[in-house]
Amino acid sequence: MNQIPVTVLTGYLGAGKTTLLNRILTEQHGKKYAVVVNEFGEIGIDNDLVVNADEEVFEMNNGCICCTVRGDLIRILGGLMKRQGSFDGILIETTGLADPAPVAQTFFVDEDVRRRTWLDSIVTVVDARHVVQRLEDSHEALEQIAFADVILLNKTDLVSADELAQVERRIRSINATAIIHRTQRCEVDLAAVLGRRAFDLDRILAIEPNFLSEDDHEHDDAVKSVCLRTDRPLDGARLTGWLQRMLAERGQDLLRTKGILSIAGQDKQFVVQAVHMLMEGNFTKPWDPNENRESRLVFIGRNIDGTELRQQFDACIA
Amino acid sequence: MSSSAEQGTKSLLDRIGTKRMLHAYVVGVAFLEGGVLAAALGDGRVAFIGSENANAPRFVSVHDGVCLSLAVDLGGERVLTGGDDGRLVSTDTAGETTAISAIDGRWVEPIAVSMASGLRAAGFGKTVCLFARDGSAVGTFVHPNTVGGLAFDPKGRRLATAHYGGASLWWAKAGGQQPKRLAWSGSHLSLTLSPDGKDIVTAMQENELHGWRVSDGADMRMSGYPAKVRSMSWLPKGRFLATSGAEPVVCWPFHGKGGPMGKAPLDLGWGVDGVVTVVAAHPRHDVVAAGYEDGATILVQIDRPHPVLVKQPGEGAVTALAWSADGQHLALGTESGFIGRVRLSDWRAPT
Repeated sequence: MNQIPVTVLTGYLGAGKTTLLNRILTEQHGKKYAVVVNEFGEIGIDNDLVVNADEEVFEMNNGCICCTVRGDLIRILGGLMKRQGSFDGILIETTGLADPAPVAQTFFVDEDVRRRTWLDSIVTVVDARHVVQRLEDSHEALEQIAFADVILLNKTDLVSADELAQVERRIRSINATAIIHRTQRCEVDLAAVLGRRAFDLDRILAIEPNFLSEDDHEHDDAVKSVCLRTDRPLDGARLTGWLQRMLAERGQDLLRTKGILSIAGQDKQFVVQAVHMLMEGNFTKPWDPNENRESRLVFIGRNIDGTELRQQFDACIA
Repeated sequence: MSSSAEQGTKSLLDRIGTKRMLHAYVVGVAFLEGGVLAAALGDGRVAFIGSENANAPRFVSVHDGVCLSLAVDLGGERVLTGGDDGRLVSTDTAGETTAISAIDGRWVEPIAVSMASGLRAAGFGKTVCLFARDGSAVGTFVHPNTVGGLAFDPKGRRLATAHYGGASLWWAKAGGQQPKRLAWSGSHLSLTLSPDGKDIVTAMQENELHGWRVSDGADMRMSGYPAKVRSMSWLPKGRFLATSGAEPVVCWPFHGKGGPMGKAPLDLGWGVDGVVTVVAAHPRHDVVAAGYEDGATILVQIDRPHPVLVKQPGEGAVTALAWSADGQHLALGTESGFIGRVRLSDWRAPT
């Protein structure tokens, strides 16, 4: 059975999420989507299937203290899978005040969901003009940026070039790995938003080196990114032991963890990603013999100390 | 090799069964009065398949979307289906449909019919509605969360529902009531009541079962499954509860004092690989039909270790199994749209 890609669409109230959704639903892109929305609003329905969700956030009794999932999504995805081959992707809209974690965690926790779908990317629409204020008064806005794989920095026509650069720096300090598209009225090539395979993490490689140093940002947001790299191979056992310990102890503070790692004695890339304390690690494709086997690991979270993390990471070098 | 081993290599379906490919996810199968087999499909259609293999099935477009559930409707000659179009529909074998209820934007997933009290129940999200024989709504029960499963007690006087945080037990014909709440944290996805109405068992998101004794609310935990339990079925007289979700067919003992508590379940069907996706207990004998994720289907007897092969692997996971009321016919459906049917009165168990 083919796995269906899922895109999660987040964004604070008024950022332009509905505009993007309308574009996806009405534009001729030759694809058919099932769209899970919070309420039937003023959205155009053309060729696509629109499903109403209830945002039922459930706690799991699996001993994972921060583990919540979206029970309604598990049900909806199960129902959608009974329509075989009738759409190319699933788009899940979350409410403006939603914490993205339960949605993302649903794709780690539920076996049936994992078997039938893959989380392609989390797309966050950000209002360039109001985001600075939102970051001051709303932790949801901060989390939505922290969780994103793709960010549409929208309404860029309402700010000056200086302000825009400043906003983008601020976003970068929170989430160093997201791809940022500057947009007006969410005008972006939909191919840049849908079907990205962003959770595959290959694109972390594409992010330019040395994009940020520790003290580059002037705002002290509660959430920030720490990026670690090394050219030296890592000890597999020590690395996974450290990651597991970190996520078990600090999982509540760590929103996203992503990495492509070079393990001593292994020809394949070790790819890890985690949402809070739920981690997946797999050996994926082989390293290109002509390429520099550089390990990259990014933590996005609260109360994280880059110096401490770097020391612990370095201790994993084989 | 004994003759039974030789028989085991060829499935009952290949020897004495009939097969069809309907090319849509089989959500449920059920036998109606007169031997017609009904199948609810993932493309919104219901297929009626007569007992004569030569006749083509009659397809009826019932739901604009997916059929989510199937039950034999009151009288035994029609099917009741819930769909993701928000409709609850009764359909007869001639193809005539009667919409009993429709709520826009809601999915109708859990449904139940009580022949004893002449009531049908359907879950529309958090609300469960009861409908009388004439289709009139005779009760509305509102829950704090979406209802995943529901079942009537044997007399159809009480209705049990499963939801996040536990189960609720309602009187079917009383307005303005508070239900008896049976609390257990976690998400309860489906529910069954024992044939004597004394025990409620739910299947949970956490790959386990939870049970309550109705009389005093005593809890029962049944865990250890590698996968979600999607299917539960009571053996005759409720002596065992057969369940999917593991490699063997796990049957919990409910006869004897204390039910399954402190006892190990029976594991049936060893030697068959893969996880069981559907179970259906025979209505009269201690026999369970079990379908697997690879499409294999077996029959297994409580006191015999070796299963009989009904269907070889293939055609996708088994998603539906049903016995006729007299236990002489078994039907199965898979996620790719395969339908198989075996008349068991034509078959002698290897001795």
